[in-house]
Amino acid sequence: MSVVGTSVARKDGIGKATGAAKYADDLSIPGMLFGRTVRSTIPCGRVKRIRYDFDTTGFTIVDRRDIPLDGRNVVALIEDDQPFLVERDVRHVAEPIVLLAHADREKLLAADVIIEYEVEPPVFDPEASTESLKTLTIDKGHLDAGFAQADVIVEGTYRTGHQEHVYIEPNGVIAVPEDGGIAIFGSIQCPFYVVKALKSLLGPKAHVRVVQTETGGGFGGKEEYPSMIAGHATLLALKAGLPVKIVYDRTEDMIATTKRHPSIVRHRTGVKRDGTLVAMDVEVILDGGAYITLSPVVLSRGCIHAAGPYRCDNVRIRGRAMLTNTPPNGAFRGFGAPQTIFAIEAHMDRIAEALGVDPVTIRERNALVPGDTTATGQRLTADCSALPVLREAVERTDFRRKREALRGTNRGIGLSLFYHGSGFTGSGELRLASKAALELTDHGVRILVSSTEIGQGTRTMHAQIVAETLGIPYEDVDVAQPDTTLVPDSGPTVASRTCMVVGRILQRCAEDLKRRLGDLTPAEYYRAHGPFTIVREHEPPGWIQWDDETYTGDAYATYAWGCDVVEVELDADTCEVRPLHLTAVQEVGKAIHPALARGQIEGGSAQGIGYAIVEHVAMRDGVMANASLTNYTIPTTLDTPAMDIVLLENPYEDGPFGAKGLGELPMDGPAPAVINALRHLGVDLSEIPATPERVMSACGSR
Amino acid sequence: MERFQYTRARTVPEAIGIAAQSTTAQQSAPIRFVAGGTTLVDLMKLDVERPTRLVDINHLGLNAIERTADGGLKVGALVRNSALAQDPAVMRDYRVLSEALLSGASAQLRNVATTSGNLLQRTRCMYFRNTAMACNKREPGSGCSAIGGENRTLAILGTSSQCIATNPSDMNVALAALEATVHLQGTKGTRAIAFQDFHLLPGDTPNRETVLEPGDLVTHVTLPPPRSGTTSRYLKLRDRASYEFALASAAVVVEVAGGRFRYVRLAMGGIGTKPWRMTAAEQALTGAPVDEATIRQAATLALRDARPQSQNGFKVELATRCLAHALRLATGMASV
Ligand SMILES: Cc1cc2nc3c(=O)[nH]c(=O)nc-3n(C[C@H](O)[C@H](O)[C@H](O)COP(=O)(O)OP(=O)(O)OC[C@H]3O[C@@H](n4cnc5c(N)ncnc54)[C@H](O)[C@@H]3O)c2cc1C
Repeated sequence: MSVVGTSVARKDGIGKATGAAKYADDLSIPGMLFGRTVRSTIPCGRVKRIRYDFDTTGFTIVDRRDIPLDGRNVVALIEDDQPFLVERDVRHVAEPIVLLAHADREKLLAADVIIEYEVEPPVFDPEASTESLKTLTIDKGHLDAGFAQADVIVEGTYRTGHQEHVYIEPNGVIAVPEDGGIAIFGSIQCPFYVVKALKSLLGPKAHVRVVQTETGGGFGGKEEYPSMIAGHATLLALKAGLPVKIVYDRTEDMIATTKRHPSIVRHRTGVKRDGTLVAMDVEVILDGGAYITLSPVVLSRGCIHAAGPYRCDNVRIRGRAMLTNTPPNGAFRGFGAPQTIFAIEAHMDRIAEALGVDPVTIRERNALVPGDTTATGQRLTADCSALPVLREAVERTDFRRKREALRGTNRGIGLSLFYHGSGFTGSGELRLASKAALELTDHGVRILVSSTEIGQGTRTMHAQIVAETLGIPYEDVDVAQPDTTLVPDSGPTVASRTCMVVGRILQRCAEDLKRRLGDLTPAEYYRAHGPFTIVREHEPPGWIQWDDETYTGDAYATYAWGCDVVEVELDADTCEVRPLHLTAVQEVGKAIHPALARGQIEGGSAQGIGYAIVEHVAMRDGVMANASLTNYTIPTTLDTPAMDIVLLENPYEDGPFGAKGLGELPMDGPAPAVINALRHLGVDLSEIPATPERVMSACGSR
Repeated sequence: MERFQYTRARTVPEAIGIAAQSTTAQQSAPIRFVAGGTTLVDLMKLDVERPTRLVDINHLGLNAIERTADGGLKVGALVRNSALAQDPAVMRDYRVLSEALLSGASAQLRNVATTSGNLLQRTRCMYFRNTAMACNKREPGSGCSAIGGENRTLAILGTSSQCIATNPSDMNVALAALEATVHLQGTKGTRAIAFQDFHLLPGDTPNRETVLEPGDLVTHVTLPPPRSGTTSRYLKLRDRASYEFALASAAVVVEVAGGRFRYVRLAMGGIGTKPWRMTAAEQALTGAPVDEATIRQAATLALRDARPQSQNGFKVELATRCLAHALRLATGMASV
């Protein structure tokens, strides 16, 4: 029986359903203290004086002077600009300044630390900011020549706001002194990122072990931030000589940790009367927040996707991520693409309107097909599925007829066509050189990877790939808990790469192992020859050519493709937008576990609906003012439309069983489809979320 | 959360005796009654409320729904929101109350939340709930961060220069329209307070939210006998379809005869610093023909005194439409 392609029981299912699974806050270690972070209350300025206005007996107090001599006060990521603890300059509200630990949580919370500042004027508007964190340009063909061929030029500016991840489990870690160094147990997406950051904090020779505990969601929100919180717990634990737990409550988590980058995207597009795109000039501005963190790569992915899944010979995409005095924005499912795809897909409907053609026709005319090149000049091959997903979605929803039928009612229907590059950009996967391993056990094999299960099904899907390749029962495959002293570095669990890239390395491990086993089962081989482990490194396809300087070449090994159709109802009295139905046709190469794949699409689509309609981070004076689940609204089941999920499979030749990346794709489509459905109703919006107030003022234009 | 002493009261006098030692019965009082705890414990976890002593009133036998001698209804203070909403008499005679309760919170919360707790629930203003921000309701004299701040969800009626927080309760809106009476027992005996007089406007003392004095225990709420021929409805508008407080809501009780409004009681939620009776609109409607123009006019009149803040101007129009639509529902001019 085939395991791949069937919806087997989740490896983590029983533990989670019975409550046996242990999350960071479930763990308690004898002697453990609780840690607290004292944060800045101003967005910009300098610390003048710190005063401890409490009885400090029993407290462990850490400030920047406690960073070990061999170490550095920087959270090592892309650039070394963000400190673990403020040196002197404060760049945003909620920046960590002092750390406290105590055995008694009440005493800890009551401790009053008074910080005096010299205040400077902050910058909150990315367009007013003069400091860029990263700029880049993608150039293809000749823009002027392109515009010279155009019959019509369409312009538009599109804006998106912050978005908060709202993973169920807030950020949290426990640091335990161990072997003269530190062990971290925590809610973490990328254990080796934490190792890197802690080695920079403690010095390269320090012993650092990072263990991922059961993790209640991440969505990118536990990609870079755990390095910060682990650093804090480490400093306290090493000074106290005792384990220290830091778990944020919801408010601290919302105020202090990363969010999706707000964006402003401007399009100027030249198009022929027959609908052919001849010139695309795109400007992408991201609000990066106060430190560089991941902004350069978020900008990069955003810009690469900014021209949409369309063929155009003359393209210029200029991007910049700007510094503002708000907490740094960071990784969030989609990583820049949801912002730029929102812009291009809303813009395509305006182009269609300008030409008097329907939204399907304009897309059919320009959609990428095998043999076409993208904005970076990547030539697409047979696994390009832009037209197939569009056609399937249009046919399935009877889109054109429905659009006519709904005219004059309070219902509208809109669609979006999108794609999402799988894995790291360009030569990123080559540089990562990810590894995975398979180890024999007395009853089968165990997978050793640093990829984390954060709810998306990593363990299950990896075990399926291995079981299928070896031809052994799924139950005989175990998956080790990610512990950085026991598993190889498989790269981060981000960028829709865990199945396609790490799954592929595991498949290769399993192929090697199968040859080695001959006619024996893993258990028989183990009994005859003892323990045995196979380690393999990722081998990106040889054809990938990428130039980081000019932003040209093969940006991604492959792309997954999607077309979302959303039907909305507009309440004439309240201007509420009610999504009634969503059809998501998504081409994922191969669905290793169809139920999990659909789950990703349903969840991502719900998150996209929230982004489109209700999720609004109220930033005020550089801090999230509505930092609670009472005041930050995410959709409930009743706000989520009925969904028709359609999985298409057009295999990627170098993916495991043809699989591409799928985790982020579903986040890209819903927002523009909703806005386009509103346009169908005559509501001209170019900004999300489409709150009733925005709709109401746009209705004035009806 | 700070440490506190917990006492399970056995009798009403015992509960009152303990609470009477408090200097105030208002918020921030050091001694507090706890009913379902869904407001109080939540705020204690946020350090917004810091009582030193809680008196548990769940075992005082105050959880009955009974007919009164005049044919009205007596609702014990500890009757759970779900029990009240699903009571056959309430569903039949006071539909607006049932609808209001069921539109609030979630099923789990309604199973523990009580009548008196709902009556006394605190505002959801984000500044009130965040101890890092100035708030006159929480800390008198500290200022109001909401004025000029994030005030999209806050009040447009009954505001003062000290506070613009809304009363968040759905139940209260229905009770206002039904002209309920709140019954208290304190050290000096019992008192009956007309619903309209129970909650106070913020004025210069937004920390004083009700007429309660130290020791005062809400024992029950009474509803007048149902008027035959009336229809009552509750309409709630909010940012999402469930588990969300009202941006605007309307409770209407109407009797129509011969194509005209004969009896009208209107109250609104989500827009006032207390549950808001719309008396001018009630008068305008009484005797007027049941038609779209009348309804629209009355709804506009109802919001005549609205004073929006920097971000909630949309609420004036939203509330107007909300009231108009609730009237359409109650008169059968609209069905959804
Ligand atoms: C997530 C969430 C969503 C919600 N959504 C809604 C909503 O949409 N609509 C809505 O209307 N409500 C909503 N609520 C509020 C909910 O209705 C109230 O929390 C609940 O009704 C309070 O009742 P309780 O018995 O738990 O009160 P408690 O928390 O026990 O008490 C509240 C206050 O009343 C005082 N008190 C209680 N009983 C007495 C008495 N007999 N005499 C004197 N003082 C007393 C207490 O001292 C305390 O100050 C929501 C609450 C939550 C947590």
